[in-house]
This record gives sequence, structure tokens and C-alpha cells, in this order.
Amino acid sequence: MSGRIWAIALNTGREAIRHKLLYTLLFFALAMIAFGTVLSTLSYVERERMMQDFAFGSIRLFSVAIAVFVGVGLIHKEVDRRTVYTILSKPLSRAEFLIGKFAGLLLVIWLQVAIMAAFFAGISLLMGAPLGFAHLAALALTAVELALVVALATLFSAFTTPLLASFFSCGIWLAGHLTRDLRDHGAGAESALVRDATAWMHRILPDLESFNLSIEAAHQLPVAASDVWLPALYGAGYVVIVLASATLIFERRDFR
Amino acid sequence: MSAAAEIVRVDDLVKDMRPGFGLRKKRILDGISFRVREREIFGFIGPNGAGKTTTLKVLMGLIRPTSGEASILGHDVGEITFRRQIGFLPEQPYFYDYLTGREILRFYAKLSGVSQDRRERRVSELLSLVGLAEAGDTRLRSYSKGMLQRIGVAQALVHDPTVVFLDEPMSGLDPVGRKEVRDIILRLRAEGKTIFMSTHILSDVEMVCDRVAIIAEGKIRYEGAIDEFLHAGEPQVDLVFANLPSEAAARLEERFDAQLRGHGERVELRIAEKDSREALRVALDAGAELISATPHRVSLESIFLSTVGETGAAEGSR
Repeated sequence: MSGRIWAIALNTGREAIRHKLLYTLLFFALAMIAFGTVLSTLSYVERERMMQDFAFGSIRLFSVAIAVFVGVGLIHKEVDRRTVYTILSKPLSRAEFLIGKFAGLLLVIWLQVAIMAAFFAGISLLMGAPLGFAHLAALALTAVELALVVALATLFSAFTTPLLASFFSCGIWLAGHLTRDLRDHGAGAESALVRDATAWMHRILPDLESFNLSIEAAHQLPVAASDVWLPALYGAGYVVIVLASATLIFERRDFR
Repeated sequence: MSAAAEIVRVDDLVKDMRPGFGLRKKRILDGISFRVREREIFGFIGPNGAGKTTTLKVLMGLIRPTSGEASILGHDVGEITFRRQIGFLPEQPYFYDYLTGREILRFYAKLSGVSQDRRERRVSELLSLVGLAEAGDTRLRSYSKGMLQRIGVAQALVHDPTVVFLDEPMSGLDPVGRKEVRDIILRLRAEGKTIFMSTHILSDVEMVCDRVAIIAEGKIRYEGAIDEFLHAGEPQVDLVFANLPSEAAARLEERFDAQLRGHGERVELRIAEKDSREALRVALDAGAELISATPHRVSLESIFLSTVGETGAAEGSR
């Protein structure tokens, strides 16, 4: 990473950790993970599995919420407060600026996931629940999914208001989790139009279920290396495409 | 003048902008052209909404022109790397207020490619230069408007640029602060830098600028040396008399086409310099007493207002 991108990333990180919403959501995430242990007592069997399933869901949901709600203001705030004027008058391309902002926020989000993961590991050990490669793989793919969500938030933040950007980002995240089911249901439809439309939606929208290994982790199912690196590669490619689109839009913007 | 001496070249620059969603485009810059020469302080003046800030944003690559060309140091303003050689202070700058003065300068120094070994020394130098050495470790949120303006000047200079663009640099400063910024600008010129200064504070322009361009309604109305601008037209002298008889006053007014003010004990006469000796003789012969004789200096403000006013009126009558 170039010194300029790193300077922007570091500063974005410093700004993000000042966001009160981040701490509120982190607190709720940790509370939900802890609540999973209480919830699991309602079950007579597979208490550990239930707790871990609930914890993975909480980690994903709250991390995405942090990524969206902090990420959508990322570029908009810089333009609105006109800090972008002095920054872009320096020998720094708009692409470097955008990548720096993305990287800075992503590092903070990953740090949050690491905190949640450590808390989750602590509770699992206390409960005597198993921890293994599948858990690590599930968390790694959650990190990839979060990179994609931050990239989407950066893209929308590059040209629209935080409200619309959060609406679009949440919409794509939801659609991204449903697209595989839609395709499968659509494949059985009588109408060719429905079959084609659902197939194309699956191709265009990010297939976020490919990053979900929480069932494998909670159920101690075997996870192959390719179950991790293939979705990771897919996610990285998608992030590159989204950031390239964001740069194209941002390059054309006039800062009035 | 050689092409190399032209640091900033703007040719036929046009910028159309839509004032709001769905509204018709408005022409903000209407084919402006001007030059900024090496080692000069160039004043870019005009009333509010004339197009000063838009021009600066085009030069900084923050907005793209609709048509026309703009270059700095021979590079198109859309290029990136040459920006190591330029510094920019926007109007009413805003900075990350959770950083201290020292941290924000460090941040801009990193962005500008100032090497790590030079960075700390340069940051300390600049904090001293803008009078913020003691406030360097205070967060910007505690800074006054004037202090923020100074930190803005410092960030524009942190990488020791060749050309400095300042948008309303005296804005928000008290008289002492304004003098300090003026001194910094003069010092920069003495160091061989070129300064482009956009402002509407005409007294500052008069004090520091070598050349000016006046912009009004998106068009350049005048471009040239400030001395030529201030001394355009025939030189005049203000003669002040005591006890000038009214007949003599009327004779002077008629014969020399003089402008007369006051009556009785104190009469002020504005007259062409070439006629002053003869007018003086006539007045003294009539028994008047000379109180003072001073060359008349036209203020930049009056010329500015007449330049902007004339063109505005001419356009209004079209």
C-alpha cells in the first residue's frame, strides 16, 4: 500500500473509531453472543451448537450493520465538510483516496470482528464447546463478506446521500443472501422469463451465502480448503469490481 | 514574455453548472483567460458569485471545465503528480477537528510526499511560521476561526510548493492576523514562489499584489499590473485652500474643469496635475492661502466598483 493510501486509511480508521454507533453496535453484538448461552439452556440437546449458531448470526448481523452505517458516510462526510478540497489538491488520485477510505474502514471492521471472535471463543471454551478449523474458516469468510459490504457502502457513498446509500447497501446485502434461493426456486418455474431473471440476478448480485460456513462450524462438519479459498477469491474479485466502479463514478464528480 | 515565465495559463475556460436537480444549466465561467507569471503575487478579485472559487476549483482539479484549457507549470490541471509543486488553501477550510495542529500537518505532509526525515522539522517550522507553535499539540476543535485559517495556510505550504493558491486567505482573521498572513505572502514571494490569491478584500490586494485580474459575472473585466490599474488615466492633484474668494473659485472651476468641494474658509480643488501650477498662481493671486497640495490617488475600490459596475450596466442595457 502506498504511503498516501496508508495515510488516508489510518486517518479513516481514527475517524471510524470515534463513531459512537460503532461502540453501541459492538456492545449489542457482545451482549447477543452472551445471550446465546442463556438461550441455549432452553434446549435439552446440542446446547453448544445452538449457542455457536446464534453467536455466528450475531457476529455477521452486527458487523454488517457497523459496516453499512459507518461506511455510508465515508465519502459523503468528506465532501460535505469540504475536507476533500485540501486532500485532493495534494498529489493523490481520487482512486487512492477511495481505496484509502475503504481500507481504513475495513481494518476497523475487521478489528471489531476479531474482538467479537475472541469473546465468542472465550464463551465457547467456558461452555466446553468445540473450536476448530471450521470456526476459523467461517470467521475468515465473514471477513470477506464484510469487505464486500464495505466496498458497496463506499460505492454508494461516492455518489449519494448516507440515507440512500444505507438503503441501497442493506438492500443488496439482503438480496445477496436470497439470490441463491431465488435462483433455485426460479429454476423450477414454468415461465422462461422467471427462470432467466432469477438466474441473471444470481449472476449479477453478490452470492453472499457462499461466505456462510456457520452451519458447518456449529455442526462440526468437515470444511475443505477450497470451501474457503474459492469464495474468498470470488469475494476479492467482486470487491475489485465494486471499487473500480466507485472510482469511475468518483473520478467524474465535480466538488462544488 | 517567455512561455516559461507563465506559471498559470487559463484559456477560454467555460464552466456550466446545474444549480439544482432538474434545473437548467447556468454559465458560471464564460470564456475566461488570464496568465500568472513567475514570482508574482496575482490578485484574483471579484464580487461574491463572480466565479473566483469556481476558477480555483478548476485549477485544483476539483471540478472539470465544460470547455477551454487550464494549466499550471505547463501541466494540465487534471494531472496528479505535478501537484507536489502546488499548495492550496480553500475558502473557509475545514479540517479533522479530532487531530492536533501538529497531527494534521503531519497528515498533509505524508499526502504531499514529504520524506519522513524532513517531516517533523517541516511541521515545526510551519507551526512557528503561522504563529501556532504553542498550540501545535491542541486539538483543532479548540482552535478559533483565525487559528484554523493559519493552519490552513500552513498545510498549503507544508511540502514547500512552487506555486501557492490562496482562496480568501485573510478571511476570519483579525487585523494582526491579516498582517501576519500578508507578511507570509510577501515572504513567499521573496523566496521565489508564485502566489495566486483570490479575495474580495481590496486593501489587501493593494498592499501585496503585483498584478490583478477582475472577474465579474464569469468574465474577466481587467487583467494587468496593479500600478497601471491604479494610475490609469490622467494624474490629478488635490489642492486645499483657505479664504479662496468665490469669484476666484468659480473662475478656477470653469477654466481648468476642476472639481470643487466646500466653500468659504476651506475649499478643496481636484485638478489635472498639468494645470496645478497655473491654478495655484490664480488662487494665490486672488488672496487665497494654500493649506495642502497632494497627488490624488484613486483607490482600488473605486476603480473596482466602476469596472464591475460599468460592465454590469452595459450588459443590463443589452
